[in-house]
Amino acid sequence: MKRRSILKSAVALAALAAVGMTSGTAFAQDKYSIALIPGLTTDAFYITMRKGAQAAADALGVELIFQGGPEFNPVVQVPVLDAMIARKPSAILIAPTDTTQLIEPLRKANEAGIPVITVDTFIGTGKYQTGAGDADFPLSYIASDNVLGGKMAARALANAMGGEGKVYVSNVKPGISTTDQREEGFKAAMAEEFPKITVLDTQFNENDANKAASQLQAVFARNADLKGVFGANLFSALGAGNGVQQAGQMGNIKVVAFDAPTSIVDNIKTGLVDVAIAQHPAEIGYYGVVSAYAHLTGQSIPTSIGTGFTVIDKTNVEDPNIAKYIYSE
Amino acid sequence: MTASETPTPAAEGDARPQADHADRAKTLVQRIADLRAWLFLLALILGFEVWARLSFGGTFILNPFNLQSIAVFAVAPLLLATGQTFVIISGGIDLSLGFIMGLAAVVAAHAINALTPGLGMPAAVLLGFVIAVLVAAIPGTINGLLVSRLRVPPFIGTLGMFGVARGVAFLLAGGTTVPVSNSFFATIGNARLMGVPYIVIITAVFVLLMHYLLSQTRFGQHNYAIGANVQAARRAGIDIKSHLLRLYVLSACCAGLGGVLYSARFNAGAAQAGEPLLLDSVAAVVIGGASLFGGSGTIIGTVAGAFVIAVIQYGLVFVNVEPFWQFISVGVVIIISVLIDQAQRRFSGGRQDE
Repeated sequence: MKRRSILKSAVALAALAAVGMTSGTAFAQDKYSIALIPGLTTDAFYITMRKGAQAAADALGVELIFQGGPEFNPVVQVPVLDAMIARKPSAILIAPTDTTQLIEPLRKANEAGIPVITVDTFIGTGKYQTGAGDADFPLSYIASDNVLGGKMAARALANAMGGEGKVYVSNVKPGISTTDQREEGFKAAMAEEFPKITVLDTQFNENDANKAASQLQAVFARNADLKGVFGANLFSALGAGNGVQQAGQMGNIKVVAFDAPTSIVDNIKTGLVDVAIAQHPAEIGYYGVVSAYAHLTGQSIPTSIGTGFTVIDKTNVEDPNIAKYIYSE
Repeated sequence: MTASETPTPAAEGDARPQADHADRAKTLVQRIADLRAWLFLLALILGFEVWARLSFGGTFILNPFNLQSIAVFAVAPLLLATGQTFVIISGGIDLSLGFIMGLAAVVAAHAINALTPGLGMPAAVLLGFVIAVLVAAIPGTINGLLVSRLRVPPFIGTLGMFGVARGVAFLLAGGTTVPVSNSFFATIGNARLMGVPYIVIITAVFVLLMHYLLSQTRFGQHNYAIGANVQAARRAGIDIKSHLLRLYVLSACCAGLGGVLYSARFNAGAAQAGEPLLLDSVAAVVIGGASLFGGSGTIIGTVAGAFVIAVIQYGLVFVNVEPFWQFISVGVVIIISVLIDQAQRRFSGGRQDE
């Protein structure tokens, strides 16, 4: 049964390649299945992305399969991807956990005739369908522009601290495309737009809030004029916020967080975190599924879709229009 | 402090398996060697002090802010390491502690959120505390049963429980962090009594109790005996099965306390709270002088070991070492510390081992 439908898809694909159009009807009887493979399953960001993807899947009548690893690590993600390829979904949406290590595993999907769209993170340069390089085969890259997000964080932080003083970036670990880009954007904006702000060395906490808090205290002990910190992900921000509290510097050292799960939003209300830059993960999931569906039914899709950001602070955190950008469980 | 952990002759003499060796060969060198981890910690602190003064004219250790920060930083790794000390002395290892801590953190957050409206803040915190530690004891009990009744090697049994506790914690948390709304809980996590954070006081009292349990009670003696030689311990009439069961429950409860204090401090329960701490906890125990082969180790040593790790990580940021060098430095210090231990065992302890 399974094999027959695979065969049928293969034949249909060949027909699609040969005829080039109007083969959508050949698929119409089969329900499409779209696999969504997140960077890791235990993160509010990807859980919210799944919700958006599910909403689109329900609206379009396609099946969504959500499977991933518990850690943001290619070693964990590739076996999940292989298992998915073996299932032969109609399309794969994936947040690749490494820009180079995922190229070959994803090429296998492409060669098996499964269209690939990357969400949140990318492979190669993130510029697809250009004919250049060996990682241009995915159809589209759908994500928020993390460099821009980092710049927005820099502006929000500079604004909160009055444009002067020392800051540093509290980051997870080097080598993750998204958090590296946030740091890059943050530093670029600080250098270009805020000459009176000094950016100290980045501190890496390996996703340990305890370590992030202690690092903040150590940096403050050394730099009494520390005025701000940018937490590039949840635990970096949670830890930095607690470090500020432990140091008795609430209100004096400003904390800007990237991402907006409920615990960060609670911290905005209590003043532990000053500003959160919220991505729109549900939007990424939604457009991922819609783009895959559009491609499967013979439409063309853009090679990149940028989703936006929302800046959340004390003034708008209670606003119901803002609440929809808080990552939910 | 040292008198209680290095057995003195007479009454305490036959309390521990190594004791009569220790009595005979108690030299000054050996007494100093028992304090090795503390000396190492002292050297480390002095090193940072000199570094800080030379590089920017500031003080490292005389700054009370640094002391507070390091103490708070050491709380979670120390609690895990305290449980781990008992297990390692018995000749086992508990790899599930990190996620048991996370499980307790999530359970505490949920329980306190659920109980606060009905019971008021302090009562909800107290009950939530108890519930979280009891829930943490469940995987501990299973670990204990696996190791004692089914004879699963501790490394494998607790590795399995590492996965189970992790999954359950993430399921309960819905894959994300669970915020707590209870200001009394947040006060415990972040307020201070005369400059000393509450969580540091709670941890100090608990660790002292554990020190007493290990060094002064029959449970502690049995633990050393089992770690030194299981067969001999069995022939001496020690109920190994029930001891091992209680042992793994105890270590899980230590991790449970760590999880509750984590939630109090960060106002949120996170399933991955203890994940990065597991290896730190093992390192702290080994730096503290315990042998991974069992039979030796002390809580006092582990305290020094946990502080060695906290001081290095804090100090390197304080003296402004380039981040990538920090990884290398922490690794090198752990290796040096254990090398000193090995050398000391060879020179002063050689005769003891016969």
